[in-house]
Amino acid sequence: MSWAVGTEVVQGGGVTEETLSLRPPANRVSRRAIGYWTVWAAVGWVILVAAQAVFVFTSDDAPTWLTVTLTISCVLAPLHLLVMPQWRYRIHRWEVTGEAVYTQEGWLKQDWRIAPISRIQTVDIERDPVEQLFRLAKITVTTASAAGPVKISGLDHAQALALAAELTRTTQATAGDAT
Amino acid sequence: MSTEAPPDTGVGQWHRLDRRMLLIRPVLDVVKSLPVLIGTVILGRGNGWEWFGLGVTALTVLVGVSHVLTSRYRIADGQVEWTTGLLLRKHRAIPLDRIRTVDVTSEPKHRLFSLSAVRIGTGRHSPVQGTGNDQLVLDAVSQTEAHRLRTVLLHRKEITETAPPPEQIVAEVDRKWVRYAPFTLSGLAVVGAVFAAVWHFAHQLNIAPENVGPLRDLLDDLANTALWLIVVVAAVGLLVVVSLLSVGGYVLSFWNFKLTRESEGTLHVRRGLITTRSVSIEEERLRGVEVKEPLPLRIAGGARLTAIAGGLREGKGGDKGGGLLLPPAPVGRVHEVAAEVLRENFDPATVPLNRHPRRALTRRLTRAIGGVLLLAAALFGLAWIDFLPSWMWQVVLGLVPFAALVGWDRYRNLGHAIVGRYLVSRSGSLARATVAIRREGLTGIVVSRSFFQRRAGLITVTAPIAAGRGGYQVVDVGESAGLAMAERAAPGLLTPFLRRDAQR
Repeated sequence: MSWAVGTEVVQGGGVTEETLSLRPPANRVSRRAIGYWTVWAAVGWVILVAAQAVFVFTSDDAPTWLTVTLTISCVLAPLHLLVMPQWRYRIHRWEVTGEAVYTQEGWLKQDWRIAPISRIQTVDIERDPVEQLFRLAKITVTTASAAGPVKISGLDHAQALALAAELTRTTQATAGDAT
Repeated sequence: MSTEAPPDTGVGQWHRLDRRMLLIRPVLDVVKSLPVLIGTVILGRGNGWEWFGLGVTALTVLVGVSHVLTSRYRIADGQVEWTTGLLLRKHRAIPLDRIRTVDVTSEPKHRLFSLSAVRIGTGRHSPVQGTGNDQLVLDAVSQTEAHRLRTVLLHRKEITETAPPPEQIVAEVDRKWVRYAPFTLSGLAVVGAVFAAVWHFAHQLNIAPENVGPLRDLLDDLANTALWLIVVVAAVGLLVVVSLLSVGGYVLSFWNFKLTRESEGTLHVRRGLITTRSVSIEEERLRGVEVKEPLPLRIAGGARLTAIAGGLREGKGGDKGGGLLLPPAPVGRVHEVAAEVLRENFDPATVPLNRHPRRALTRRLTRAIGGVLLLAAALFGLAWIDFLPSWMWQVVLGLVPFAALVGWDRYRNLGHAIVGRYLVSRSGSLARATVAIRREGLTGIVVSRSFFQRRAGLITVTAPIAAGRGGYQVVDVGESAGLAMAERAAPGLLTPFLRRDAQR
């Protein structure tokens, strides 16, 4: 059996002499994804700022705190728009090997997802209008589990199509009902 | 055609629901539309609204009757087919090899004529969307027909002999186990619901509680009594009522509880005093077990056992408790049954677990105490603007030591291990749960790290699985230890993506 020794854990009888960490997946998403994330974030900020601004400037007795939040929003918005997409671009990565799909995503909270090809049930390609504008696509790979879908967003459309075709081919080649 | 047809001629023929439902269904439908009926007849007297109410009721009854009359099902060509509807026709077909569970329920309305509702569930797992689209409900068929369906659908073979198939009893409820009922606090929900309903009703009818005679006398008496006495008496009273209700609930739900294993590799759970429930779980679909020990039950030395299996309904309302393998029982017995169900020599949930780093303790304490402090601050703010009395934030502030204890206990309970085929994870304090899932059921690995976890060098590993809650977590494990565990949990899957550095 295995016990904790200090902060380093001894696994199943064998002492781990090494520290493990996940290496980032091999491929970055398309550079155009930066533009895509910026557009969506900008839409959100514009709605938020506009709603507050309309209220502050048209209402006779707009509360003072609203003016404060409006100012804060106006400062935060450009910062978020400048930092977030670049940060995300550095983090969002993906890799497909013969055995597994591996992704890394998120910015404040990061996720690493690994799904074995043999457990893949469906491969979906999705494109919202902004993605179409940027010639991007999002691939969703689902497994039988509700917790396991792997998403790769911000892929070049042509590349996404090729990838989905390849995944579908390998999935069909594997036997079993993937549960 | 009749549902009483000899069972061995069942394949390929269309069957109908039991006609005796025609006697029950209309009555139930009328009862269901009573609110509409009463509302329209009383409030709308003289201006035609009562006809609307009568019309709606008649329509409901008609739909119910036509459902019973037009519903037909058959098992043919490797699938179970079902059609219903007079005006709006529905047809559904489920391939036999996709059927994972057959759940037979007899509510009081069914038991009147020895009928049962049969729910046929498929393995598709989507707790978010619900199971509405991939399950089939036959409400109702005779009990012999229900038994036939269960055998045909799960074992893909007809009943040839009249004798019931040989089965081995794994566990039966023991009358003495009722002593665990009060510790489940299940009666608390009933008390809360009744209180809320009465309160709402009184409010609707504009009855202020202080204006009702007996209550008023009581309140006057209370005004002259010491506060501590009121609190003690109320607490004792609540405890007694909750205990009685919990015992009642235990008896109603778990009476005649019996867990058996049939020779074809199916686990079969039967239970219930008034509403009887029978759930079958294909052992091939069993992915693990969960031992649940809520704090009061844990103090009393009890636990509950649940199956983690594909296609098993786990959710709210009628779906609740679908995977129950053992009602609150002595924890030792729970582990015995778990081992027996999994066909192992011991229950994997009993092995000593790897503890998580001390930094996880800091996080547990920060969360527990921080949450209470935030609540206290909010209540203080509301008291400051004279919206709430100030004793409330003081009481909440007094809870801080308890929050710290809970946080510490949560840390103490954190643990994980890999034992043979199983990944074991334990967490929680007020609702401690230990899960043991079969590693071959994992559909991948998800590793996540929040901003604060990153600073503490911790990660959360989620093991996605096509059963139960859809994924089980190992929370706040050290990064290296967590990845080592994940690598062993799904051999080969993680290895190409790992970086190994020599120990510093």
